[in-house]
Amino acid sequence: MNEHDQQHFAEQRKLRVRVQAPSDAPIAPTTGLKEQSAENFYVRQLVRSQLRLAISVASGVLALLLGFAALVMAGSSMEQITLLGIPLSWWVLGVGMYPLIIVAGLLYTWSAVRNERRYRSIAK
Amino acid sequence: MMHSLSLAAVITISLATVLIAVFGLRLSRTTSDFYVASRTVKPWWNASAIGGEYLSAASFLGVAGLIVMTGQSGLWFPIGYTAGYLMLLLFVAAPLRRSRAYTIPDFAQIRFDSAPGVRKLTAWLVAVICWLYIVPQMHGASLTLSIATGLPGWVGPLIVATVVCLTVLSGGMRSVTFVQAFQYWFKLAALVIPTVFLLLTLRPFAENRHGQLELREQLQSVVGMSGYETVSVILALLFGTLGLPHVLVRFYTNPTGQAARKTTVIVLGLLSIFYLLPVTLGTLGLLYTPQLRESGNTDATVLLLPQQVFDSPVADLLTAVVVGGAFAAFLSTTSGLVVSLAGTLSQQFFAGTVRGFRISTLLATFLPVGIALLTSSLALAGAIGNVFAFTASTICPLLLLGIWWRNLTARGAMAGMSVGAISCALALLIAGPLPADTATWWAQLLRQPAAWSVPLAFLTMVVVSRATRRTVPSEVDRVMARLHVPES
Repeated sequence: MNEHDQQHFAEQRKLRVRVQAPSDAPIAPTTGLKEQSAENFYVRQLVRSQLRLAISVASGVLALLLGFAALVMAGSSMEQITLLGIPLSWWVLGVGMYPLIIVAGLLYTWSAVRNERRYRSIAK
Repeated sequence: MMHSLSLAAVITISLATVLIAVFGLRLSRTTSDFYVASRTVKPWWNASAIGGEYLSAASFLGVAGLIVMTGQSGLWFPIGYTAGYLMLLLFVAAPLRRSRAYTIPDFAQIRFDSAPGVRKLTAWLVAVICWLYIVPQMHGASLTLSIATGLPGWVGPLIVATVVCLTVLSGGMRSVTFVQAFQYWFKLAALVIPTVFLLLTLRPFAENRHGQLELREQLQSVVGMSGYETVSVILALLFGTLGLPHVLVRFYTNPTGQAARKTTVIVLGLLSIFYLLPVTLGTLGLLYTPQLRESGNTDATVLLLPQQVFDSPVADLLTAVVVGGAFAAFLSTTSGLVVSLAGTLSQQFFAGTVRGFRISTLLATFLPVGIALLTSSLALAGAIGNVFAFTASTICPLLLLGIWWRNLTARGAMAGMSVGAISCALALLIAGPLPADTATWWAQLLRQPAAWSVPLAFLTMVVVSRATRRTVPSEVDRVMARLHVPES
């Protein structure tokens, strides 16, 4: 850096204004995305794949829950089979649903991370 | 004997809560600390805290109560509360964390490019939801303390409000995180101990054929909800959870979007373990305290079970443990709600200062105490179910469409939330005075509005957004990128 540059920077330094965001303003996004840019295209792809994943897991679980509700309502044979005096339908609803919900959560998390990894490898 | 032991339990849990909060005070210094614990809370801590906060009076007392009241239908409530967290994981957890918003109104502001109308409407809805959610906690406190100690009904809510104010004011979110993580494990223990004692004592009964037949007869004797009501409850709980303000505020304390997901999966496990206990106790309640159904006081099932089965010293000790756990439930849920409500109020009306946060805390706590003392208690889990229906009809469509649909406009969001809020609230208000045994189809539609009010809110949002498509925020692509692109 020569003398001329140093003088140049010294002049500019005075003009600098420290900018502070108002306290309620959202933090400014760091990337400037253009509607048609390639980056924006990849982001939309990511959003679409994550949404598809979330909807398929959600509709699976919802179908399962509503299916069981219908089965129990219909007074199926689940009422007749008992374990320790408690009907099978009580075991299914009281105990059996929870492991299914946890498994659905785990499967979703793994797939969501995979989608994000794919996005990173393409976008960079 | 029982009275003094239970009172000692209430005092112990209150003192422990305040002490942990004051211990946390030394770690909490800035405004950001007050709101979101500086986003440095580890997943396990955070998950325990979320569990502690989420397991309210409705879970601790209400689930068993509903099982005694409606039999098998009651089993759907804990399933819904847990599956609601799954929906939160699928659609909201990571993007909401990445939005870097403190509260739901903040999210609305970020998403709609600072359109003030949406922010204001969301803030009001958050306030209404928090207050509606705190009132049943106060009812629970009133019921528990008067049953266990014979004290008048207003003492319970007053204790809860005072302890919550002290904890929240002394340390904000950071201390609340410690307190709530502790309270999850305490609540779990407070139900595990009596459940194990009861099951060990009752094992011979369950093993003989006669006992099994009697059990089965009792379980099947109760008339549950109709098919429509069951479906509507499932929908309300599934989609209501992801809009609960006190649940969402916890997600801002995760360092990354992926950490938010990890936390949520742990929460699913913690909730699943916990709910096995009220389900067991409710089933035992059908056998030992079916008389509560006639008196309409089924929420007391968990509190009264030990005395039905055991004699004096054991029964008194177990009751005291349950009472302590119940107060942990009221305290943790109320403090979570108060933190998120105070955060919203202080940002909306006091420019987000620490002093404003303190004033808002007092407002957030003592207003619902007043409402609780003036109203009589509904079935706890049912009352909370109504709040879930309201949330599912208002905040849920805002978050789901806001996060996943770039064409949502500010006007669309406002129209959808208004339609959802008005239709759901009107239905519940009309259904309130109806006698409980009215089983006509329109009474069912009014009593459980979620099955139609949630789709109506979504539809309104989509249609109005389509009609005002020119006003899609210009920054929407940047916001979408911020919500969904993983942190490097």
